[in-house]
Amino acid sequence: MLSRVADSLYWMSRYMERSDGIIRMLKVNYASSQESVMMSANGSNRSVLQHMVSNKENPASIINNIIIARENARSGQDHIPRELWQCMNEFYHDIQNKNLKDLLQKEDPITILDNLHKHCTIYNGTVDMTMMRGEGNSFMSIGKYLERSLQVGDILAMRFNESDTPDESKKLVEHMVLNGNFPRSIIYSINRLQRYFERLRSEKNTEAYNKLNFMIGELHSRVRYSTADSIMRQGLNQYLARIKEDLYNIANALNHHYFAYSL
Amino acid sequence: MNSYFVDSDTWDEMYSNNELRHQYKNVVEFMLQLSIDELNKKEEMAKQLFMSQGVTFTVYSSGEGIEKIFPFDIVPRIITSVEWAHIEKGIAQRLRALNLFLKDVYHTQFIIKDKVVPAQMVYSCQHYLREMHKFPVPYDIYVHIAGIDLIRNNDGSFYILEDNLRTPSGVSYMLENREITKRIFPDLLPKNKVRSVMEYPTLLRRNLMSLSPRQTTNPTIVVLTPGMYNSAYFEHTTLARLMGVELVEGRDLVVDNHKVYMKTTLGLQQVDVIYRRVDDDFLDPLVFNPESSLGVSGIMSAYRKGNVAIVNAVGNGVADDKAIYSYVPQMIRYYMNEEPILKNVPTYQLGNADERDYVFSNIEKMVIKKTNESGGYGMLMGSACSQEEIEKYVTGVMTDPRQFIAQPIINLSSSPCYMNGVLTPRRVDLRPYALCSPNGIEIVPGGLTRVALREGSLVVNSSQGGGSKDTWVLSD
Repeated sequence: MLSRVADSLYWMSRYMERSDGIIRMLKVNYASSQESVMMSANGSNRSVLQHMVSNKENPASIINNIIIARENARSGQDHIPRELWQCMNEFYHDIQNKNLKDLLQKEDPITILDNLHKHCTIYNGTVDMTMMRGEGNSFMSIGKYLERSLQVGDILAMRFNESDTPDESKKLVEHMVLNGNFPRSIIYSINRLQRYFERLRSEKNTEAYNKLNFMIGELHSRVRYSTADSIMRQGLNQYLARIKEDLYNIANALNHHYFAYSL
Repeated sequence: MNSYFVDSDTWDEMYSNNELRHQYKNVVEFMLQLSIDELNKKEEMAKQLFMSQGVTFTVYSSGEGIEKIFPFDIVPRIITSVEWAHIEKGIAQRLRALNLFLKDVYHTQFIIKDKVVPAQMVYSCQHYLREMHKFPVPYDIYVHIAGIDLIRNNDGSFYILEDNLRTPSGVSYMLENREITKRIFPDLLPKNKVRSVMEYPTLLRRNLMSLSPRQTTNPTIVVLTPGMYNSAYFEHTTLARLMGVELVEGRDLVVDNHKVYMKTTLGLQQVDVIYRRVDDDFLDPLVFNPESSLGVSGIMSAYRKGNVAIVNAVGNGVADDKAIYSYVPQMIRYYMNEEPILKNVPTYQLGNADERDYVFSNIEKMVIKKTNESGGYGMLMGSACSQEEIEKYVTGVMTDPRQFIAQPIINLSSSPCYMNGVLTPRRVDLRPYALCSPNGIEIVPGGLTRVALREGSLVVNSSQGGGSKDTWVLSD
């Protein structure tokens, strides 16, 4: 597969996973804001939603994520099934809808976010049902789980509350970091990352493969052989920061060994 | 239907003497059964399908890209089997002559020595490339893919309007338009015995495979695109996907020791055949335009060494130059000793003083074109321009008259279009796609019908507000 195409598919997948995560987070935040006693100035929740969903000036907004994901899909268009391209297009046209801003101001935000999130679900289902299980799929999966590990780590670091009781904290860490059955835990994502990377094994590029395999294996082992107690002992934030650094290094090595086409 | 008025001086594809032509009966019957609401719904559905499938091009204005679809008219343009047989024969004949001409002008130049085509005509053409001299292209085929434009005069006979022998585009619309028709008019295609166009990618792939210089069972074929900001990018991806080959950009390729390689996740992989959609001038910065970042340095040397096949060949522009165009009938007689089956539109060379005077004194009946432009750019319609515009254009012509030709304005045939709830006639042309391989010439039964959507307009180019129609060729 062309390096450029592999790069595009990997980033398409990362941006789609990122959008998925942001929409989920916005939904939860909005719902919990309705129970908060410290309600800020009226309507400011709505403006956060607008900022995060449809503000083109905000590089992290959903609309910008989808635009970039689609541009990447376009550049790898001959390697993804037509259904997948169609589903990205529908998402794109929906989020470009000029009324979205007004709707976020007037209508029930949960309904709107649910509708947007459906596109993510359809995207994931379409990938699952139609994408050839070749190199392209491996790079997309690698992108997806790498992005998810990063995102879960960030959310956890942000949300972790020092004032929680040790018991509550331990439960949270066990679920979000160490529960291999929970698809949004860090260990689950790293398991998948390792599994899809191993599919790239080839005799033609052994050096690069071995190097990355070592990096991913090392990270995997570290998480796999942690316990909630050991994590809490060294401090959750340090623990997460180390994982994040490793993930960044893996992403850089992927870029260097597999995608660097502008040699 | 009652409001369908055909201009008396125009050939209409659907009506003759207020009688429905038989090939349109089924379609008209089908449409009459539907209410205006239903038809509008179908039109809307066609638009939605193009949008959701991303069959769009992007227009950049005020820094923001706007996605537009190439306007599509739901009423098909229908060609009978008799008409098609004639077109097919005529295009094949013309293409054979043009391939012979290209081989000749880049080698022995008999046609110049025998004074059939003036030497000055050939050498003054910007697209005549000395780099191609004495280079034997594989199987003597220069034009592998041609999109020759046809129009129909008021007597119903077909004329060649121009030969597109470099990187003719639009074939993906031939395929997409057919897909849309399948959706909006269920069962109508088989009922009318419409011939399929879907084998185009298969034929093209087979032809490209046959050109591989390496004797290998599985040669690497690529489609070379200028990139996703090119207006035909959608077409490039469609062709690559349907043929199952890689779509590459210049930056994906590299030349080493006169061989072309593509950069993959597993290292370099040798490329055997390149279907390029990049113009000659941008192909190789070492040989042509040094500013080009779309091309590949060294690709011409690999080509000349015979290590890679390039489709269409480089230097074809000399054969589809609008001034050379007027010599094609002579070429057919000269090389093949046959009479041309399809006629040329009369063409005046503005490089010739007598012809120039004639054109300028009849300018309101003329269309003047730049010889090396396409897409309706650099064109003057004498009947539709103000005195001032004409004067300005004439001054432009006089700086280098060789670069201009003139043709009498032809009354293109009209075809029914569904607009605002009624059928109205609009002018159309036809671009069939011909493929030339070592085994001969094949023309997929169909093509792209372009339509001038503005009332009375004779310009069908998409850049000038044109749209397209599905084109049906009926079997007997």
